[in-house]
Amino acid sequence: MSSALLELRDVVKLYPVRGSGRKGASIRAVDGVDLAIPAGRVFGLVGESGSGKTTVARCILGLTPLSEGSIEFDGVDLSAADRRARRALHREIQLVFQQPAAALDPRMTVDRLIAEPLTTHGLARGAALRERIARLLDDVGLLPAHLRRYPHELSGGQCQRVVIARALATDPRLVVLDEPTSALDIVVQAQILNLLVELRDRHGLTYLLISHDLSVVRHLSDRIGVMYLGRVVEEGPAAALLDDPRHPYTQALLASTRGRGSASLDASAPLEDELPSTWELPTGCRFHPRCALREKLGRPAACETIDPERVAVSPDHAAACHFAGGADAGPEGLRS
Amino acid sequence: MSVTLDSPEQLPPAYRSTGGISRRAYRVLRRERAAQVGASIIVLLVFVALTAPILAPYPAQGRGVADVPARDLAPSWQHLFGTDHLGRDILSRVIFGARPALGVSLVVVLMAMLIGVPLGMIAGYRGGWLDETLMRITDLFLAFPPLLLAIVISALLGPSLYHAAIALVISWWPWYARLSRTVTQSLRQAPFIDAARVFGVREPVILARHVLRNSTTPILVQATVDLGTVILAVGALAFLGLASQPPLADWGLMVADGRETIQTEWWISTFPGIAIFVTVLGFNLLGDVLRDVLDPRSGS
Amino acid sequence: MSALLEIDDLRVDFSRDGRVTSHALRGVSLAVGVGEAVGVVGETGCGKTLTGLSVLRMLPDNAHATGRISFDGRNLLGLSPRELRSIRGGRISMVFQSPGTSFNPVFTVGHQIGLVASKHLGTGKKETERLVSETLHAVGLPNPDSVMRFYPHELSGGMLQRAMIAMAIICRPSLLIADEPTTALDVTIAQQILRLLRRLQREQGFGVFFISHDLDLVSDFCDRIAVLYAGRVIETGKAEELLRRPRHPYTRALLEALPGRAEPGASLPTVPGTVPTELDDAPGCPFAPRCPLVTELCRQERPPLVDVGSGHTAACHRSDDL
Repeated sequence: MSSALLELRDVVKLYPVRGSGRKGASIRAVDGVDLAIPAGRVFGLVGESGSGKTTVARCILGLTPLSEGSIEFDGVDLSAADRRARRALHREIQLVFQQPAAALDPRMTVDRLIAEPLTTHGLARGAALRERIARLLDDVGLLPAHLRRYPHELSGGQCQRVVIARALATDPRLVVLDEPTSALDIVVQAQILNLLVELRDRHGLTYLLISHDLSVVRHLSDRIGVMYLGRVVEEGPAAALLDDPRHPYTQALLASTRGRGSASLDASAPLEDELPSTWELPTGCRFHPRCALREKLGRPAACETIDPERVAVSPDHAAACHFAGGADAGPEGLRS
Repeated sequence: MSVTLDSPEQLPPAYRSTGGISRRAYRVLRRERAAQVGASIIVLLVFVALTAPILAPYPAQGRGVADVPARDLAPSWQHLFGTDHLGRDILSRVIFGARPALGVSLVVVLMAMLIGVPLGMIAGYRGGWLDETLMRITDLFLAFPPLLLAIVISALLGPSLYHAAIALVISWWPWYARLSRTVTQSLRQAPFIDAARVFGVREPVILARHVLRNSTTPILVQATVDLGTVILAVGALAFLGLASQPPLADWGLMVADGRETIQTEWWISTFPGIAIFVTVLGFNLLGDVLRDVLDPRSGS
Repeated sequence: MSALLEIDDLRVDFSRDGRVTSHALRGVSLAVGVGEAVGVVGETGCGKTLTGLSVLRMLPDNAHATGRISFDGRNLLGLSPRELRSIRGGRISMVFQSPGTSFNPVFTVGHQIGLVASKHLGTGKKETERLVSETLHAVGLPNPDSVMRFYPHELSGGMLQRAMIAMAIICRPSLLIADEPTTALDVTIAQQILRLLRRLQREQGFGVFFISHDLDLVSDFCDRIAVLYAGRVIETGKAEELLRRPRHPYTRALLEALPGRAEPGASLPTVPGTVPTELDDAPGCPFAPRCPLVTELCRQERPPLVDVGSGHTAACHRSDDL
């Protein structure tokens, strides 16, 4: 898909492990991720702790170097970019954080905070700078009275608006939203979600939304990718994936969401065990020890021995499970 | 616009501004007894140091001129603190002694900070081999016993207040390096540092603008207490004859002067000793409350 | 259902330097029946955690509480520190949001849980160990005898939360106060913990005082829900009914603001303004400045919490219009 604004190809990120008594062992935080986001769309990346979604975001933002693979933004390979190109990338790709208050320097007032991205890239000075800050304030729904305040003098929602204003300051094309509302109250969350939708429409932004909250992901995303232990295990259009999940992990996630009624707590649990330790990855399919479908199918050998390829459920929906196409599907000659 | 605004009257006053540094200082001074005592002592010290020639009843003696016939006089109305072995008024000499005390402690602490803080910040931010190397150098300097260093330097260059100061700076900067390294390491993980990196802010700017300004509180608190500790250290070195030389009015030197006659002419050592004690106490108390003044989040 | 815990007109003020700096709770009245799970929901600053802490009198020194909290025929607010200590962990216990911070890092998990048991039940060393092992098994931890010897940092978040629940139920309390017990956990682990709590509640019959900002979660777990706003209870009712037909505009606003109930991408209905501060003492309904249904009466007279039908209560002059 050459029209993709952001494209990840086989991205791998390893973290060497020291002092565990194993030489040369490493944690495969991201273990071969392919992703493509077309311009103007919202891609939701879902996963729990240990899934690698935060690491993927850090690699895209240039906060962490890749171990293998490539990330291309608008055709430009991030790792091959020279200094000028990288500075341009810092303008084009921005981030909205999870903990809004922690993302703001506690010693800086709001006006200096919003000015920082602008002055760093020399985008405005003096009167032009003040005007630009005023426009950004208006964009995110803050008042001039907020300019003189410190972050600890703002509410959570107001802090998040400042974070968003900073992210927009350089006119980025891609904004990575890392759990943008999980630290916020219900009503404030709704306000921020509305703001994000409106800003996307008004400025033609592309979003990579990272969240564990499926209702937020569903609300904003065009396309969803589900990550488990460093891999994308299912990917597809938001509605299709949520209505017809084909990977057992996605099914388990959906079964764990709240708000499905009291009886949901009495039915048998979708997932009982904990995540395996990250450097002792299960053989074959990494999800097999916890997989309910495998139990139901009588533990087919393929699950333990063969790492599943992505199976196309439809032209734009794929899941990495031997049986994604239905219980009758599966690797040749290995049906149980 | 569908975005809901916080109208001015709905700006939550619970997030009332804590005010700038002067307002915080005022608030702390009003409330904390420690602040009041500490600040008073230091203000007094500075005043005394600045006005010594006018304040001292016998300024010439304060500077060192002797008056041998009047020696070893007990405290009286003419000499409130008595006189020493050379007949010099001790009160005047204590007053004049505030100058080298304050001067040398300021210089030593400032120099130690100037050397130690940048090194610690770079080590803490970069990590890796740079951190290792800088920390080993720091360890090396830490291993030098300050006293021995002072002896060596005064043996090489001759004893004087300046040389004692050099020895102290060399012994002191590693503490600031370590402190700023620890603070920097904890700040490095903070999301707002990540934010600066995502914005493309260059590393030296990140260090100066974000790391340094958020490190000031622990470093300045340490520095304030150190001002007192340095005075103690200089006093000790002077006592041993490794710092100020006579006839300079230096508290440590004065204590040494009277040490043989402490049982009979007790006032010669005691009053300068009290001066040292009160000064160090003042800096310690100030250091205690300084955090509340410096941190914009405290109060309210 | 007879009341296990009854909070009556609980008011908590904070003061500094002799002056009252905030009215954090302004007359909260709530009841938890035997074996009943009551959800206490609200946004940040509404006072839900403070209410929970007040039951166990775990308030900071500058807080002053008045009112009555009846438990077991006694007023908890009037008990001496010694009497309180015998209740905490024994008859009433608490589970917190962050399991890591509730455990002392230098002692093993088994040791800390054992301390609670031996203190309240007076069990000897062997008996305590057996009890700890049993309880760890009851909360679903595999190999309880080895888990007991682990230090807190050696357990994952989910396992640690189970251990904290074990610590809370080992003495078979009649009431469990849970303050955002699953907020810090992954979705799938949180689900497991909720199921565990549900199962334990059914087996042991304790009541639950469940504090959360998450309406969806509370609606799954709890029998009844109480909604707090600015230090007051503004609505209570059976979980399903309250969600299906809220009788207070604030509750309705909370429900409508949830993204899960709206069309994807649609603008979510919100309310303007912010929660009143802890010093505001204007007459009238505290929600009036933000309420879409506000009338002049609302601004003048504070609506009392009244029954609007079959045990459902709401503090709104216009609850019939909802």
